[in-house]
Amino acid sequence: MTLTRRDFIRAMALKSAAVAAATLFPGISFAGWTPTDLPADSILWSKTPCRFCGTGCGLLVGVSGQRAVAVKGDPNCSVNKGLCCVKGYHSIQILYGNDRFTTAYVRKNGKMVPTPIEDALDIVASQMKASIEKNGKDSVSIYGSGQWSIPDGYTASKFFKGCIGTNNVEANARLCMASAVTGCLTTFGLDEPMGCYEDIDNADVFITWGNNMAEMHPVLFSRMLANRKSKTHVQIIDLTTRSTRSSLAADKSILFTPQSDLAIANAICYEIVNNNWVNQEFVANHVSFHKGKTNIGYGTEDHFQFTEKAETIDFDEFKAFLSDYTPELAEKISGVSAEDIKYLAALYADPDKRVTSFWTMGMNQHTRGTWINNLVYNIHLLTGKISTPGNSPFSLTGQPSACGTVREVGTLTHKLPHGVVMNEGDRKMAAKIWDVPETNIDPKPTFHTVEMFRALDRGDINFMWIQVTNPMVTMPNLKRYREGAQKEDRFIVVSEIYPTPTSDVADVILPSALWVEREGFFGNSERRTQHNAQLVPKPGEAMCNTWQLIQVARRMGFEKQFPWKEETYIEDIWNEYTKFHDNPKHRMASYKVLTERSGVQWPFVDGKETRWRYNGKYDPACQADTWDFYGKPDHKAWVWLRPYEPAAESPDREYPFWLNTGRVLEHWHTGSMTRRIPILHKAVPESYVEINPEDARSLGVVNGSKVKISSRRGSIVMKASINGRGNPPEGMVFVPFFDESYLINELTLDAFCPISKQPDYKKCAVKLERA
Amino acid sequence: MPIFSFLAYPEKNMKDQLIKDLSHMDYCEVKPSENQDVLILLTDTPDEETNKDLITTIKALKSLQSLSMTFGHTDV
Amino acid sequence: MEKPDLNPEEKPDYKIGKLFLLFAMIGVIALPIIIFKAFSISTGEALAKINKAPVSDFDHLAGQLFDTYNKTTPAYMEGNSTARTLNYYYSLRQYPGSPPFVPHDQVVEKGVEQTCLSCHERGGFVQAFNRFTPLTPHPQHTYCGQCHMKTVTEDLFRENDWVSVQVPKLGRSALAGSPPPIAHALQMRENCIACHVGPGTVVPIRVEHPMRGNCRQCHVPEETKALFSRNDR
Repeated sequence: MTLTRRDFIRAMALKSAAVAAATLFPGISFAGWTPTDLPADSILWSKTPCRFCGTGCGLLVGVSGQRAVAVKGDPNCSVNKGLCCVKGYHSIQILYGNDRFTTAYVRKNGKMVPTPIEDALDIVASQMKASIEKNGKDSVSIYGSGQWSIPDGYTASKFFKGCIGTNNVEANARLCMASAVTGCLTTFGLDEPMGCYEDIDNADVFITWGNNMAEMHPVLFSRMLANRKSKTHVQIIDLTTRSTRSSLAADKSILFTPQSDLAIANAICYEIVNNNWVNQEFVANHVSFHKGKTNIGYGTEDHFQFTEKAETIDFDEFKAFLSDYTPELAEKISGVSAEDIKYLAALYADPDKRVTSFWTMGMNQHTRGTWINNLVYNIHLLTGKISTPGNSPFSLTGQPSACGTVREVGTLTHKLPHGVVMNEGDRKMAAKIWDVPETNIDPKPTFHTVEMFRALDRGDINFMWIQVTNPMVTMPNLKRYREGAQKEDRFIVVSEIYPTPTSDVADVILPSALWVEREGFFGNSERRTQHNAQLVPKPGEAMCNTWQLIQVARRMGFEKQFPWKEETYIEDIWNEYTKFHDNPKHRMASYKVLTERSGVQWPFVDGKETRWRYNGKYDPACQADTWDFYGKPDHKAWVWLRPYEPAAESPDREYPFWLNTGRVLEHWHTGSMTRRIPILHKAVPESYVEINPEDARSLGVVNGSKVKISSRRGSIVMKASINGRGNPPEGMVFVPFFDESYLINELTLDAFCPISKQPDYKKCAVKLERA
Repeated sequence: MPIFSFLAYPEKNMKDQLIKDLSHMDYCEVKPSENQDVLILLTDTPDEETNKDLITTIKALKSLQSLSMTFGHTDV
Repeated sequence: MEKPDLNPEEKPDYKIGKLFLLFAMIGVIALPIIIFKAFSISTGEALAKINKAPVSDFDHLAGQLFDTYNKTTPAYMEGNSTARTLNYYYSLRQYPGSPPFVPHDQVVEKGVEQTCLSCHERGGFVQAFNRFTPLTPHPQHTYCGQCHMKTVTEDLFRENDWVSVQVPKLGRSALAGSPPPIAHALQMRENCIACHVGPGTVVPIRVEHPMRGNCRQCHVPEETKALFSRNDR
């Protein structure tokens, strides 16, 4: 920007006047013009969890007048201890994009027309009623996300499951951590990690499974590097299918063939068992062995059903099963040398080393996601390296409240805030707390996310309310689901802050209040609940998602269940919700405590947070001073016999490349927020396809040239990135999914893990051509 | 080429009138506050003489209660 | 609304404006003089050793500071990089205290560990840019790409209305000649030496007395603007 001297003086003149005015009237604002800067003196700093990933960094947001102007890391928050990543530092800018929705819109004759929000809420309620009358209660659905604040998800569950009586409640966390949930449930009987971030300061070895922490969880990655820097012996081993920033920082990076992590994990167990490295005492007292079904399918067909059948086995049967996974045999499947597998096993088994395993989407977005979660737990259980400082198998989450809202409140079709809909006791508890007849709660789960969008396409669902997520960018096999949402007789309500491909298919758009424009709670990866107060005013008619749901519920006749006042409803909801978890296994901190502290970990019992669950030394729910896996009826953790099975779709002669998708550091998920932060967009303005230099050479492609990528489901043309930030091996390409101009999910396959129903975004087959 | 900025206070209930009056004058730029009864007035006149006349005219406005200068520069 | 007690009845005379103007002019003339007085050139490389020490100890390293100062070559001490102004410094930041973006090309895309620190931990003259390297105040954090990025375009995805606050004012001593308070938060910037000493630093904030290592003996952070008041017991 070039300023003439005159412009400069004029700007100075305006600024001086604004400063004088701000001194006289704190909080003054000027219509149609924002002073380029306000006096620095008047900043008020308040704590809040970060809006973005599941790390759950504590931020201090600086507010001057009525606007958020600056960010600092919260030194009192033990998660990040004052450090943020670039998204966190600039997070406040997401509030001020020019194209914020500040009014509701309703589709009239194909056009979106601005509408007073009260009228729009009337329309939503009447459409829901009409759909229920015509097509039954299971024709309406709500699709939320791990970005839902806890009161949003709780209100949605109470409204849909308790009042309307449909289990059509899902959240996009199904796409991002469902396998972590089923992994925890099948192995431990209770969800969420046993460890915490303090493991990062205590571990001697970190093994990351298909996990690019440097870009996805940079603050935790830095904490890992800080541990390594402060001691000489700490090692980071990067197990990956693509070379990333994390690989460069690791002490050793091991590349494996996609899907073969199943074979590697079993081979590590083979080595541990056959070298007599098993922690016999731990296994004898705290572990039992089980097997389930095999050849379980991929769910690519509509109405796919799967029911697990578990069978208890003994150690010898487990040992016999492992004989298929010698390091040499695993090498053939995985491409990882037997030597490296033995090295990994030796690290896991070394009695003098504390080992932490981290994973995120590499293991969770996997057609055998539950299995690979089980298998990594197997390694930690055989060696007894669990639930003690530094010994931790740990699934990191991608969204700020995937744990808090989706996993804990249970905004999934089969879940209730406590337990599952199939369980009579859990239904009774919910009906009592919600003040609804017990018969209201349907004991049969309906649709998981992929099947819910299939049902929308088929017409089994006519009404869908989408809050805080962008499925028209993130659904795999996207074209089918976008066309389904646009069919006649479908009514889509979208609660959003900015225009997105999802709001493009909406019949009603409700403007949402965002993050610190409303009060709420997030729950991060390490069972930490964090409260945020409202720090800045809501723009225009924007309304908190919780309040939107309450307003519609009241219009449908459920005033009794939603009696709260606008001044206190968040606190009231918290007090009601925590009744579900009022036991030593999951007790949560009070509203007052949460407003005072920078996050509190549950179980919060007798004023104390629980750092490590299932270990009597730290966890008050344990019945002994030692390990007690109280989630399972036998008080043991379950080792599962899980084989290697191939991916749903692998490269072949016609489609010779793996397609891998994911994120970049600068953008968060679909970029609807981070792309509106000027500095982040300027750094990574568009998506690209990473190609291995050898493949690029044989294709005749150079950096920046256009490449056409095609799968059996669709194709896309985008720029090539060669030797860029990441480097896939030969035979693989990688595409970040943040850019709505390049909808890579039109190419991905809607195959999912039959147990968790989480789709696999990391593996499908594509071909490349010069475009 | 004098450039000045002022905080202008309207007479009671005359903020809108003052905004209107000032915006219709040459050499004036007005930034009303959204939430307080005050507005910022920026004057950017070609010479001292015009400036003097302008200020006199402004001070004669019925809608104006008082004017206080916050910045001034005469040599541009 | 309560009216402020500015000049309740009378419309202020233009003459008063002239007086204001005079003050403004004096300010405009005086400021550069004050700034120029603060100019000083001193060591960079030697003092970088202090970066190796735990950050909380920087206050107590006066002796080491003095020694390294003595050992620094005059050539280095006379090195200059005056192109770096405070305006430029703030133009790399979204708000005072936000992580600056990377303004030069020679950045390894990978953004991990030693690549950035090989220059920014130590300082020194870089022929390619014809400048001295500014030092990082927090070399203990080694994953630079977490917060610092290079921009590749000036275009925006969508316009944004966000605005920041004024940058802190310099030299706001309580009394004439008394040491000014620290105008910024210390978080991530505990190491005074990195940004206030050496030829790679921004000229107006360079100190002329780096050999007095105990900075916070005289310069204290301004935690609040409020004055002391007795608690009611």
